[in-house]
Amino acid sequence: MDNGILIKKMINEIQKSCIEKLNIMEVCGTHTQAISRSGIRSLLPPNLVLLSGPGCPVCVTDESLIDAAVEILRNDIILATFGDMVRIRGSLESISDQLHKRKNIFVLYSPLDCLELARDNPDKQVVFFAAGFETTAPGIALTVKLAYEENLHNLSFLTSLKLMPPVLHKILREKQKKIHGLICPGHVAAVMGAGYFRFVAGEYGINAAVCGFEPLDIASGLLFLTKKISSGYESAFANLYESCVSEEGNETAREIMMQVFDIADGNWRGIGEIKKSELFLNENYCSFDALKKFNIRPDKFVSDQRCNCSDVILGNIMPYECRLFGKACTPQKPAGPCMISSEGSCSAYYRYWEAGL
Amino acid sequence: MCLAVPGIIVSIDRAWAQVDVMGILNAVNVLLIDEPAVGDCVLIHAGCAIQKISSDNLSYLSNILSEFLIKEEKNG
Repeated sequence: MDNGILIKKMINEIQKSCIEKLNIMEVCGTHTQAISRSGIRSLLPPNLVLLSGPGCPVCVTDESLIDAAVEILRNDIILATFGDMVRIRGSLESISDQLHKRKNIFVLYSPLDCLELARDNPDKQVVFFAAGFETTAPGIALTVKLAYEENLHNLSFLTSLKLMPPVLHKILREKQKKIHGLICPGHVAAVMGAGYFRFVAGEYGINAAVCGFEPLDIASGLLFLTKKISSGYESAFANLYESCVSEEGNETAREIMMQVFDIADGNWRGIGEIKKSELFLNENYCSFDALKKFNIRPDKFVSDQRCNCSDVILGNIMPYECRLFGKACTPQKPAGPCMISSEGSCSAYYRYWEAGL
Repeated sequence: MCLAVPGIIVSIDRAWAQVDVMGILNAVNVLLIDEPAVGDCVLIHAGCAIQKISSDNLSYLSNILSEFLIKEEKNG
């Protein structure tokens, strides 16, 4: 059957299943973007609300780390990072604000590219500012290990590597809006295993599905969740992305990750401290910690209270319910991180005009 | 940023593989997966293969869901 026809049939079935108002959260920023880009959101019945979750790494990187990156850039160093990270602001400035000061800032696709940067510039310190979740953390860990084995003493890492379960526990425990179903992040599950998210159904009685990122994957996830929710039976968990996600995930990647990092309490932008939610370089690799190398202690910082990004990523409000959305906050002139990252929910809503502006 | 793309390993030289992603060859690190081999389908994220995958991703999902919908139509 043609995928377009299949998706149309699924949407019809979803419409039939949504008798009452249902809130389904898509945790991953890549899902948020895919849902907007495919137009699926506009085809859903009005009583099915898709809430964006905290799965955009740029959106949850604490302001204090941006400040630390800006502080490190006061030295004559090379700073490398992923694309969207350069635009988010700390308490005062962003990394891109440093460009006019002729600072060396590189945007990399792969963390492994920073090894070459360090080799090619032996007389300069190179700092890689890494943000991500469990999908990205093994690649960062591998890069740290290779730098260690190669004795690349001029390379260090500023990290904001978050773990998904602790923030989901927080949302599911403290939610202001009732969440009826959860679309779990497919590529986090590819590394950690589908079983990593079974607690959503087991502990909280909320239907959950691991989904891929194609429109067909997302429609199938929504169909599964709406059918299960409307049936009223015991909550269920399904892995609808079996071709990429096994129950146990990638053990080799996880081992490398845990050889390099320890788990400790982490600060989430706009949310605050969450227990055991972040990966930090362990004692074997702490010489690669940029904060230690440059003797910087990140200050705790109170987020801009005008910006409601934290409520958006906790599923408390829709992006267009923030008073800055589309007025004082646009992708061209963003006030908050959710409007900066292409995977931020405010950016996705704005770009695809789903707020009816 | 958690986006990952599938590709097929064309050749391997120790830690690095040439991977065909939609007809374009990319150098991809394969140290995060067990026993990579030429012909393996892999999921690539930020320059690293993060998981081996099956090649019939879409057809698997399509078949399951087609069956589900046909069943629903019969019941409905």
